[in-house]
Amino acid sequence: MKRITESDLLGLAESLVRFGKANGAEEVEIGIGDGREFEVDVRQGQVENLVEAGSRSIGIKIIRNQKTAFASSSDLSEETLHRLIKNAILRAGLSSRDEFAGLPSPSSIRIAPQSLDLYDPEVARLDSQAKVRLALETERIALADKRITNSHGASFSTTEAKSVLANSNGFSGEYDKTYCSLSVGLQAGDTDHLVEDFWFSSETHFGSLETPEEIARTAVERTVRQLNPRKIKTQRVPVIFEPLRTSGLLGFLFSCISGVAIYQKASFLLDKLGQPVGNDKITVIDDGLLPGKLGSGPFDSEGVPSQRTVVIEKGVLKNYLCHTYAARKLKLQSTGNADGNSVSPNNFYLEPGMHTPQEIISSCQKGLILVRTLGHGLNPVTGDISRGAFGLWIEKGEVAYPVSEITISGNLGSLLNDVEMVGNDLEFRGSICGPTIKVAEMLIAGSD
Amino acid sequence: MRTAKAFRPIVFEDHFRISLRDLQRILEIALASGGEFAEIFLEYRAYNFINMEEDIIKETAESIDLGMGIRVLSGEKTGYAYTNDLSFDKMKKAALSASAIASSPSPVSVADLRTAVLDHNYYRLEIVPHQVPLENRIDLVKESYVACQSFHPSIKKVKAGFQSQIQYMTIANSEGLFVSDARPLIKLTCVAIAEKGKLREFGFSGGGGRVGLEYFSTKLGPAQIGKEAAQEAVRLLDARDAPAGEMPVVLSPGHAGVLIHEATGHLLEADFHRKKTSIFWDKFGKKVGSSQVTIYDDPTIPAFRGSYNIDDEGTPPRKTLLIEKGTITGLLQDRLSSEIMNMPMTGHGRRQDFTDIPIPRMANTYIEKGEYDPQEIIKSVAKGFYADKFQGGQVEDSGKFTFSVSSGYLIEDGRLTSPVKQATLIGTNVDILNKIEMVGHDLEFSLQTGTCGKEGQDVPVTDGCPTLKITKMTVGGLT
Repeated sequence: MKRITESDLLGLAESLVRFGKANGAEEVEIGIGDGREFEVDVRQGQVENLVEAGSRSIGIKIIRNQKTAFASSSDLSEETLHRLIKNAILRAGLSSRDEFAGLPSPSSIRIAPQSLDLYDPEVARLDSQAKVRLALETERIALADKRITNSHGASFSTTEAKSVLANSNGFSGEYDKTYCSLSVGLQAGDTDHLVEDFWFSSETHFGSLETPEEIARTAVERTVRQLNPRKIKTQRVPVIFEPLRTSGLLGFLFSCISGVAIYQKASFLLDKLGQPVGNDKITVIDDGLLPGKLGSGPFDSEGVPSQRTVVIEKGVLKNYLCHTYAARKLKLQSTGNADGNSVSPNNFYLEPGMHTPQEIISSCQKGLILVRTLGHGLNPVTGDISRGAFGLWIEKGEVAYPVSEITISGNLGSLLNDVEMVGNDLEFRGSICGPTIKVAEMLIAGSD
Repeated sequence: MRTAKAFRPIVFEDHFRISLRDLQRILEIALASGGEFAEIFLEYRAYNFINMEEDIIKETAESIDLGMGIRVLSGEKTGYAYTNDLSFDKMKKAALSASAIASSPSPVSVADLRTAVLDHNYYRLEIVPHQVPLENRIDLVKESYVACQSFHPSIKKVKAGFQSQIQYMTIANSEGLFVSDARPLIKLTCVAIAEKGKLREFGFSGGGGRVGLEYFSTKLGPAQIGKEAAQEAVRLLDARDAPAGEMPVVLSPGHAGVLIHEATGHLLEADFHRKKTSIFWDKFGKKVGSSQVTIYDDPTIPAFRGSYNIDDEGTPPRKTLLIEKGTITGLLQDRLSSEIMNMPMTGHGRRQDFTDIPIPRMANTYIEKGEYDPQEIIKSVAKGFYADKFQGGQVEDSGKFTFSVSSGYLIEDGRLTSPVKQATLIGTNVDILNKIEMVGHDLEFSLQTGTCGKEGQDVPVTDGCPTLKITKMTVGGLT
């Protein structure tokens, strides 16, 4: 078995594009991912797992007569790759002709990867012992708090990833990205009255990570504030979403404005371009060009340059997020959100407002701060939301006590119109993020 | 045990091309700096996918996953490394990385590898998918698609997909175990969207398992799958919003197995017990639920998605009694937890693929049938909620769990009345297990399409249960 030993992955991708063309494909796209991963999990002061690995995978897209076939492999032997390409060319013949299929047209825009500042050499330089110490330190600080009764452990992980892409329309590009993450999960209370939560920080640059001290303190605070929860009666009240919960809501919004969901008619935001879908406090952006941010990159998985796209502007739906195929179906332009066969967010966020989280809480006579949710219960076709929830009850503008074993329900469509206040506390903790928001009213189901 | 008729591939020689001697040397390198146990997991997975939407076969896909994971155990520590380059040098490098957690000289020497031959086979594979021309597999997808689309004029969008894979795996460990398996898995699914005016609703169905294509002519036809998806979407067009608040809940047989999966299964995974994070960790041998509740996890049910001949550590699995008449009697064990807890392995050490460390997981989890007639159960409820179809659920170690109902009915005066849509139900497991008031005699299993996620690893599972009545539970509807 001949193995590919070239370290020149871009050269490999380009040669496979040529191989596909030579064997009868009209259009060929080859993407290669090459990653080095490290993860350490510690628990109760001991290393539990230590994982170190390198892996590569390759994705292949073949189009012939407007018929598409995909293939992928983590076996990079020439024999396997050539067989997969030949198979894909044959299989494409069995797909149906689809006038919308095809690679993106060449673009004159080229974004220099360096301008995005996504690679931190310090992440690559960190030695294993230093990484283990970070995780141990984080957990040690958290467990020193007497209110914490057990630990799910702390983890530190790093990834160095190279993304390579070449296609038969002449695109050829690559970029490197680093990722690091430090987290800890905790429990408080006795076995029959456990509460739990976690905190984390993840960044492209090691220097931007929160310190073990900050992460441990936040995790402890988030956990113990849920101790001794009460059940509340079924009622309608204002609900404040903490930033992580706003992010969750935005994740659901993303699944409803993805061009794929739109052409599949699987979204309640179908046929709503140019129309108000929320009130004027709602401005949602997808931006793949923010330097140093987790969701940034110079181009998407089809080689379309990243861009900043206004999705909702002061409540009006401006754009769906599309890859080339969805865009052609909808007679729109690709927004540079291709991720293989699906559409993914770059940095997808709700623009912050002016209020501090404290002002938002003070504005509530009675209400719920949503701190965690459990379960699924999101339906993009209708926009309906129904989830298990944990929260903090507010009375007279102050946190009164924690509540649990409740559900919250509502509809994303109405919710976007019912946002009364938007916080100023936006942080880019992942590729989807939002600040604190207050929603006028949602239905809380609890006890009788 | 019955052996497979048509398909018994030679895994190791065909796919990994490594000598037994080299594997032995890699294991020796892995234990050279200490540790008590080393294990190599080799995987070659061939996967195929066909997707039909908008009346056309939109695309097909083929994927090959090849790689090796190696782990070293030292006390409670696990060192793990993986690579998709199976050259001796890369495997050796991985072995050295995995051994980094060990520091003292190993007391263990690597035993000679001896080939273990399995005398059982839980897969039911006669017509091997990838040996059938792609055209014939495409026909299955089309049949399902057309049946769904033509079910009712309100069906406006259909999506049908067929996935098939074979996972070839070989496990070699420092105790001398050398064992291979080839796990088949197929899944045909159909999604329907129905429209009426501005209303739009969604329906889903599917089938498959560790079976061959004969399944679709003998067990569940593609047309039936399409029809079921359409039926659900159409029914929801006339459904009203679910109620909100605490009320008696009756769960339909089969699909409601997700309740057992979330409310008890996860919390009986042994890793959460040795770490004392599960609400159940101090309740082994204690009564935690109603005497009507008996729960098993059985990875040996023939043809089921969650079944396997060996787990991902090479252990033949056992049907495991988890809860007997309300009392915890068993845990789902993998090698590490069973070692630490000094309990027998049950064959529940599973991993998503070679990049993952095996952990205790469920396979096919179900609540044993009871004595009540399902009709009698519904009749016993004056006003309540009947949960029919489910989307999935989630649980945390404190025992708080949710599951999402995609469609159900109101129960009024002992009868099912208006259809209702989406609601999330929430409870605490010990509380709900004690409130299981009636268990039906109609044990059924969920669709053969389920996947369970834990610590970022997805594995195929099945759940089952008879009709159940819960005295009172919080329903999170919209009205």
